[in-house]
Amino acid sequence: MGFAHLVLRNLLRARVRSGLTLIGISLGITTIVALGVITAGFKSTAGAFVRSGGADFMVAQEGAADMSFSTIPEAAIPQIEAVAGVESVRGGLFHFTRVGSNPFFLVLGVLPGDLFEAGPPLVEGRYLASDSPAEIVLGAQAAAALGVTVGDEVVIDERAFEVVGIVDSEVLWEQSGALAPLATVQDITNRREAVSVVHVSVVAGADPEAVARRIEDQVAGVVSIVTADDIGKVDSGFQILDAANAAISGLAIVIGGIGVMNTMVMSIFERTREIGVLRAVGWSGGRVLRMILIEALMLCLAAAAVGSVVGLLAVQAVMRVPAVRGLLEPSYESGVFVQAFLVAIGVALIGAVYPAIRATRLTPMEALRYE
Amino acid sequence: MSSAPPPIVHTRRLVKAFEGGRLRALDGVDLDVLPGEFVAIMGPSGCGKSTLLNMIAALDRPDEGDVVVAGHDLRRRRQLDHFRARDIGLVFQLDNLLPGLTVRENVEVPMYGQGRSGRERRSRAMELLAFVGIEGRAASRPPQLSGGERQRVAIARALANGPGIVLADEPTGRLDSATSARVLDLLESLRREQGVTVIVVTHDPAVASRADRVIRMLDGRIVEDASRVVTPLAVAADPAG
Repeated sequence: MGFAHLVLRNLLRARVRSGLTLIGISLGITTIVALGVITAGFKSTAGAFVRSGGADFMVAQEGAADMSFSTIPEAAIPQIEAVAGVESVRGGLFHFTRVGSNPFFLVLGVLPGDLFEAGPPLVEGRYLASDSPAEIVLGAQAAAALGVTVGDEVVIDERAFEVVGIVDSEVLWEQSGALAPLATVQDITNRREAVSVVHVSVVAGADPEAVARRIEDQVAGVVSIVTADDIGKVDSGFQILDAANAAISGLAIVIGGIGVMNTMVMSIFERTREIGVLRAVGWSGGRVLRMILIEALMLCLAAAAVGSVVGLLAVQAVMRVPAVRGLLEPSYESGVFVQAFLVAIGVALIGAVYPAIRATRLTPMEALRYE
Repeated sequence: MSSAPPPIVHTRRLVKAFEGGRLRALDGVDLDVLPGEFVAIMGPSGCGKSTLLNMIAALDRPDEGDVVVAGHDLRRRRQLDHFRARDIGLVFQLDNLLPGLTVRENVEVPMYGQGRSGRERRSRAMELLAFVGIEGRAASRPPQLSGGERQRVAIARALANGPGIVLADEPTGRLDSATSARVLDLLESLRREQGVTVIVVTHDPAVASRADRVIRMLDGRIVEDASRVVTPLAVAADPAG
């Protein structure tokens, strides 16, 4: 019988109590994993948009609360293009609206000419014509979801658009949304002579970060988004998600820690005489301490494993919702699971330290006399 | 003339008080026990016999006096875990087996941290269970055993690390006379075959009748110390008789 086996036996003696504690902790871990995978997925999806059409980075309005609220005057686009190191720029105007069953359908207003330069690959039909305000190009996923093809009509905000092309984009928001003439989207959103973001490609050999800094220095009121993490600069939603994730992790540690402490304290109280016997037959205080800490760690790591699996199942369930499926792709980054297991270890240590210290402070006689 | 072996248990002016000093459980106990002796400590409840056993087992510390066991000065030594694991074996009145473990696993418990591999622990436990005649119940849990069987497991556990001294507190207190006799046979065989020093605290005259030496206590003091049998070691200690 190994030491770990002995510890496992202790846990299995109170199956119901250990099981309920495990469920409690694993609920916290489930939340951390599910939220972590979704947050990472959202960032990854947004990150893909930053580099849409082969762009090196994106520019948005400084201080915007949400990327869809970002407003850059069209007049600023030539200023950005004039910055040293910039090769080309493409403006885009966001319009999120309900289309079919998707409440977050992205209609991205673009200059029709830009599609020929850097548009996603066509699978059917053609790009937008420069003089046809009621044309639209759909992402393949959107076309499938809406059950339409080239030549069909799609109604967006009570306006009829003819589907002229279907693209296969690596950017989920384009794949599940539509590309429409910039002027039309400006008209729909009543944001004339403005775009939400500007995609920037730099000349060969130029450092995108250096060019991005120059743009921020030379063009007033804009901020550069080079990586997905930078999106938080213009989208408080990302910051809220990160904050929620940290808060839930903290709460999970505190609540889980109290749960584990309750379980371990009960277990140690019930086993006080047994601990006296262990001390009497020569077990050191350190060995008893290790036994209790390993019991708590085993419990919490099992909860982390269960919570991670349930978290993944929860993500799968959430991804069945069409609105979510069009908004993000889950990203199963190892960091999310590392965080979940670190939280579990934190819960174990917080929960087990008091009962472990209490057990080791008892003299063998005190423990043996305990009723 | 052969020289006397040093006592394996040596106490001088041993004092232990409880309840803020009002109750002196031990009140100046002087005791020497030679290696290989079978000693019974008797006396009425509260006379201090279990307290004396606890001092010898290093389960408790005296307030005053000296206690030296197997060469270890227990008053001065801070870390007593190793001493408890290696030098003494304890048998309690209530067997105090761990109910969640099997009989074999209970016997293995004192061997943790003593440098034995899992295989060695298992092998030693089975050897000891065979010695106490209960190897067939190795996979059982303590609640499945009779009182006598549990006490035999406790004796096997006490012998796990090959101690020189076995201390037993009322080992037959809850057993019928036939089962008590089997447990006492085991303790006697330990002394006889392995030279283990056995010190038993008991109320039972049948236990005392097996001992080489009977010590009677009253109010925390030794009031009678009588050798029943002259052991070879006792002869060596006092050849003049």
